[in-house]
Amino acid sequence: MKLLSKFILRSIGLVLIGVVLCGCVKDIDLNQKEEISLSPDVQIDLLIYDIDQSQFKDPSTGNVRNHISDTVRLEFLDDDYIQKDLTSVEFYFRHINTFPHEIESKIRFLSDGNREQFAVNYTIKPGINGNPVTTEQFEFIEENRIHLVRRTIKMVVELEVQPGSAKFEGELDFASKGLFSFEF
Amino acid sequence: MMWRLIGLFLIISGTVVAQNKPLLFNVDDLPQTLMSNPGAQINFTGHIGIPFFSQIHLSAGSTGADLYDVFANDGTNINTRIQETMRNMDSRDYFSINQQLEIFSMGWKIDKKNYLSTGIYQEMDVFSYFPKDPAILANEGNNDYLNEPFYFDDVSFTGEIMTVYHLGINHKFDNRLTVGARAKLYSSIFNAESTGNTGRFTTYTTPDGRNVYNHEVVDMNVLINTSGFAPLKEEEGMTVEQATAELLSRSFFGGNVGFGLDLGLSYILHEQFILSGSVQDLGAVFQRKDVENYRYFGSYETSGIEPLFPELDANDEALPYWDDFEDEVDRNLRDETTNQSYTTWRPIKANFAMEYGFGPAFLPCHYLSVKKVRYMNLLGMQLSGVKRPKGFVYAFTTYWDRKINENQRLKVSYSLDDYSLTNIGLMYTRTFNKFNVYLAANNLLAFPNLAKAHSASLQLGMQLIFND
Repeated sequence: MKLLSKFILRSIGLVLIGVVLCGCVKDIDLNQKEEISLSPDVQIDLLIYDIDQSQFKDPSTGNVRNHISDTVRLEFLDDDYIQKDLTSVEFYFRHINTFPHEIESKIRFLSDGNREQFAVNYTIKPGINGNPVTTEQFEFIEENRIHLVRRTIKMVVELEVQPGSAKFEGELDFASKGLFSFEF
Repeated sequence: MMWRLIGLFLIISGTVVAQNKPLLFNVDDLPQTLMSNPGAQINFTGHIGIPFFSQIHLSAGSTGADLYDVFANDGTNINTRIQETMRNMDSRDYFSINQQLEIFSMGWKIDKKNYLSTGIYQEMDVFSYFPKDPAILANEGNNDYLNEPFYFDDVSFTGEIMTVYHLGINHKFDNRLTVGARAKLYSSIFNAESTGNTGRFTTYTTPDGRNVYNHEVVDMNVLINTSGFAPLKEEEGMTVEQATAELLSRSFFGGNVGFGLDLGLSYILHEQFILSGSVQDLGAVFQRKDVENYRYFGSYETSGIEPLFPELDANDEALPYWDDFEDEVDRNLRDETTNQSYTTWRPIKANFAMEYGFGPAFLPCHYLSVKKVRYMNLLGMQLSGVKRPKGFVYAFTTYWDRKINENQRLKVSYSLDDYSLTNIGLMYTRTFNKFNVYLAANNLLAFPNLAKAHSASLQLGMQLIFND
């Protein structure tokens, strides 16, 4: 009996040594580390404005201008993570209009040398009896056109009021955002 | 008096309990038992470690994921598996690596009641909670997490490499009580820590707001302290060998120093019942040299940039909206790099054990050896743990400690901890004349395929142990 217990205990000791020496990793492939990537989809607000008829008034003459525009540099588009890892962008633009006029909206994306890379043009529907009407527009820049976004550094917003008989009074609210998809 | 002392130990052990090489705790044949309990009962009169080989300790663990979860060779996409794994983990899951290498150790009985031990060991300890929210934000972005805050609090980690010089005394107070203490001098080679961070980032949908979303950073305060890192960063073209040489030079008090204390006791409650407890690394390192602190703080919210449609001529420059936006962000979300000294508390470890002996055996008679009777079998349970930034990491171990003969000993343990419910450990030690070797490993069931293990630990060493 004593001999048996000694045998068992020594066997356990040998098992310990054996198990430790034979410790290994199985069923995995560490080469897959080359395939690891981060793929965040990031929602980012872009430009906003809330304007009324005063914004369309020429400060020097007091006359109504039917065309206004402004340019905003989006410096982040020149950052490394955009230049190397951006795969697609879905832009979203929304106008809420109470002006009783159609307004042509042009949103242009320019390079640093002012070359247009792409543009999103659409007609903002007029407000009805002073009530707001929403116009939405999506623009999807897929992977094979993503170089256009990478070349962009400026976003130009242009508004052109279409002729109409109703008095030009109201408000126009603009919201915009982008869903930027990356693969790092 | 004795009960008060024991009571005090129970309180300390109960509040600071943690996991720490449980297989070497209370092994009275091994000098390493004095490293986890300086007040342990011991059964030798001297020891000299084989330099660099008297204790090699490695342990690593991850509570939330194992290698298989990420690198499984099952034909599925690794990035999908990573995403699933990250989603299944939470911010209290953690990764831990601890490594110790005994460079030198020795000890000798200076009289009938006192055993003096000293040595040098190198230790690396890395502990990081899974930074779930920042990791999800980086991996998936905010698109699927609108209106859900990403907390910066999730960033919490500590890491250090140091050399420890120590001197301990084990004092046999009387036939029942043995107490011990060990003074430690820490020579820090490298430290990095970031704990107690606050703040959150949220992307709110704003149906009635000016834009589709509102992005908010609220009360961000993230601080990363480092010491020993800055000189390596500044040395351009430094090779790995040069960096290693620079780090090793700090082992000998070239870096930052600190002080610590281990305390322990064992008490024979009844001839067959023994209580023991210890607290290790009650101490701190004062980071004064080569310190760099990186702090990110502030609050800010935005819904986008607002053009003003000014009247401009064709040659006029557009208004610098982006520059203004950046300036505003920089004013509100700030970062600074400073060189302020800081103090790091060592991760306190504590152990409390109760064991029952049966099957008496008698030791060889020696005039310095007080412990006359020991048992062939010891059944014990041990509560242990380590204090970490978000609380205590516990382990509960039960064990059977079997003395095979005068030269061989075996310990089998079963532990419950954050890593596993099937943690079986084994320790085997054998002495050939005065030359002793030992091997201990936890979570043995995982060794056949460590890829599916949440933790594994191993201690091995060799030394000369004297009993005469």
